[in-house]
Amino acid sequence: MKKIFSAVLLIIFLSSVHVFAAGLRESSSALTEVEIWHSAQGSNAEVFDSIIETFNNTIGKEKGIVATSIYQGKANDVLTKINAASGTDSLPDIAMMDATAATDMNASDYLVTIDALGIDTSKIIECGLSSYTSEKGLLALPFNASALLYYYNKTLYDSLGLSAPETIDQMAYVVSKTGLAGSNGKLLRVGFIGIPTTFELSTFIGSQNGLSYMLDNRNGHDGVATKAVFGEEGTYKTFLLEWKKVFDTGFYSTATTGTTEEFTAGRAAAMLASSSKLATIINSAEGFEVGVASVPMVNENATGGTVISGGALFAFSDNEAVKTVLEYLVSKDVQAIWSEGTGYVPVNTESYETESYRSFLKENPLYKVASDALLSSNPGMTNVWVPSAYSIYYSFQTNIINYLNGTGVDETVSEMESIINSAIKTYREQNL
Amino acid sequence: MSFKKSGKKKHFQNKAYLYLLPALTVAAAFCWYPSVKSIVESFLVVNQGGKVIGFAAFDNYRRLFSDQAFLHSIKVSVTFILLFVPANTFVTLLAASLTRRPSRLSFIPEYIFFTPVAVSLSAYSLLMSDIFRGEASVLNNLFSTAFSGITTPAGAMAVLVILGIFLDFGLDYILLMCAFRSIDRSVIEAARMDGAGGWRLYWCVEVPMIKNTVLVTIFLALKDALLISAPIIILTEGGPYRSTETIMFYYYTEAFRSGNRAVQNALASIVLLIAGAGMTVYSIFKRKKEAL
Repeated sequence: MKKIFSAVLLIIFLSSVHVFAAGLRESSSALTEVEIWHSAQGSNAEVFDSIIETFNNTIGKEKGIVATSIYQGKANDVLTKINAASGTDSLPDIAMMDATAATDMNASDYLVTIDALGIDTSKIIECGLSSYTSEKGLLALPFNASALLYYYNKTLYDSLGLSAPETIDQMAYVVSKTGLAGSNGKLLRVGFIGIPTTFELSTFIGSQNGLSYMLDNRNGHDGVATKAVFGEEGTYKTFLLEWKKVFDTGFYSTATTGTTEEFTAGRAAAMLASSSKLATIINSAEGFEVGVASVPMVNENATGGTVISGGALFAFSDNEAVKTVLEYLVSKDVQAIWSEGTGYVPVNTESYETESYRSFLKENPLYKVASDALLSSNPGMTNVWVPSAYSIYYSFQTNIINYLNGTGVDETVSEMESIINSAIKTYREQNL
Repeated sequence: MSFKKSGKKKHFQNKAYLYLLPALTVAAAFCWYPSVKSIVESFLVVNQGGKVIGFAAFDNYRRLFSDQAFLHSIKVSVTFILLFVPANTFVTLLAASLTRRPSRLSFIPEYIFFTPVAVSLSAYSLLMSDIFRGEASVLNNLFSTAFSGITTPAGAMAVLVILGIFLDFGLDYILLMCAFRSIDRSVIEAARMDGAGGWRLYWCVEVPMIKNTVLVTIFLALKDALLISAPIIILTEGGPYRSTETIMFYYYTEAFRSGNRAVQNALASIVLLIAGAGMTVYSIFKRKKEAL
């Protein structure tokens, strides 16, 4: 009797769950929900949320679309979660990720390309489009675009009669002048802090000879790369030889973490960082004026400019609501608001003509440096799409520090080449 | 109570298995199945989407052991174990020893020492990263010191060991203090009557009586040291220059973030093997002790 009673209870319970679930689907069918996973933090998150809120109160209300923004950690955390959610129905409709996601997304069967959504991209900046274009088409819509910048302590530079260096050779001279040692030989201030890795090298190597690549297949954009080419083209070696000059000044810190904190505390006179950090750095600089300039060129022939960085919006649902939200997010006014609030470079060419963005740049000229650098760069400059991207990121740091500490330059280059080639080989054997 | 030669025995066993069924189902679904799957797939070529596309034999293992980053991560893990396990055992045993006698004020150190159990790993890791981040760290600002903290390889390892001790401290302290306080008072009284006191009573009577608990804390510390990755993700990201990239952080980077299935399955199988070996040694050791 007990068993029969339990069975009846179980059936009632299960059927109620079914009815409840069905009810949920029905109630949500009136409005289409578009879930967006993003990586914007702090004040950037507030700006993003307010942009989404404006959408929901205007276009969304009109078309029956509700967009929800969910913070999922840094860009690489979003990728980790997308990879974990792939193959399930937990994928969001849109995700904000950076170039490290491109290899995985290009290989995935769940990404909906921007071309497939039929979004008009004629107003999107060229370097933004080329950096997310693969043999499959446009993988993602550039949204939070930024550029690598040379940040320096302008107050200090001015007091010494120095200006931002244009080449690494000049940088070595400036670093030697801005570093400061105490009477006991201990460094009180370094002239430069930070060790370049994949992100910085895509510019340092990419800009050489007008345009160069780190990997073949246009840095992996025309199909998965088959090998590293910075060895045979000599571009990595050229960079290392120049960078050693900075190290040899004795006023160079090879720290990999806390570089921004050291710079804003005045213990480092210069560093390289993304333009997306501009607002934070200006606000936290202690007792000095911040200056920014384009990344120093490796040599006079390195005229390619800078690689676009930051992130883009990847879509995982093919419907009109997703298209509407994406079009809204890259529209000229939204991009102007987003850029003014965060320091990112507008990806819509028409945003530069808006009255609000023009007056914003007039009041905040530092924000113009990144967009000028990007727009004057060779549009062929692309970020690197390499498998095992995170491992390679750490390998570059170790590889460079070993070189600075005495490993031969040719040995350093060939070691890095073999690390990358081995990662590419493993990936190709497993996936192609 | 004996069930020998009784029909009740079988009934009792069946019931016991029935009670175990939910736990066994969970273990089968979330532990045994993925373990067996990893071991089988470590000999196959599996693409990022999880599809099997060929037979790899020992290629995945060969690839893993030819990766300099992996070999380096073994060195880092061994260094961490050698630094962390003795330091952790010493610190927790010292704290438990000093507060083992209950008194009217013992709730104060107990409260302080129990607190780490209630704070999340991420919160501690973030706090540590601010306290020890380079020359401009909170620590250096407060005490006008010049500790390089997590910006140098040695400093980063030291901070990681300190963080590891903090994370394990609460639980280990509770275990050790409970063991000290549950020692049969008559044994201590007898030792006292025989003239033992102070250091001798502590070292020759009390410590031997809690050695099984000390052993448990050592094995827990070993397990934590071998599997440490979350604090590293937050605190150092394996750096600087891979100096804190342990085996599990390497696994996280390659397998989880980069979707490298070759590394994922081969390394998961190896760690499973090491953990299995560790557990076997522990249980043999425990059985021998119980048999004595």
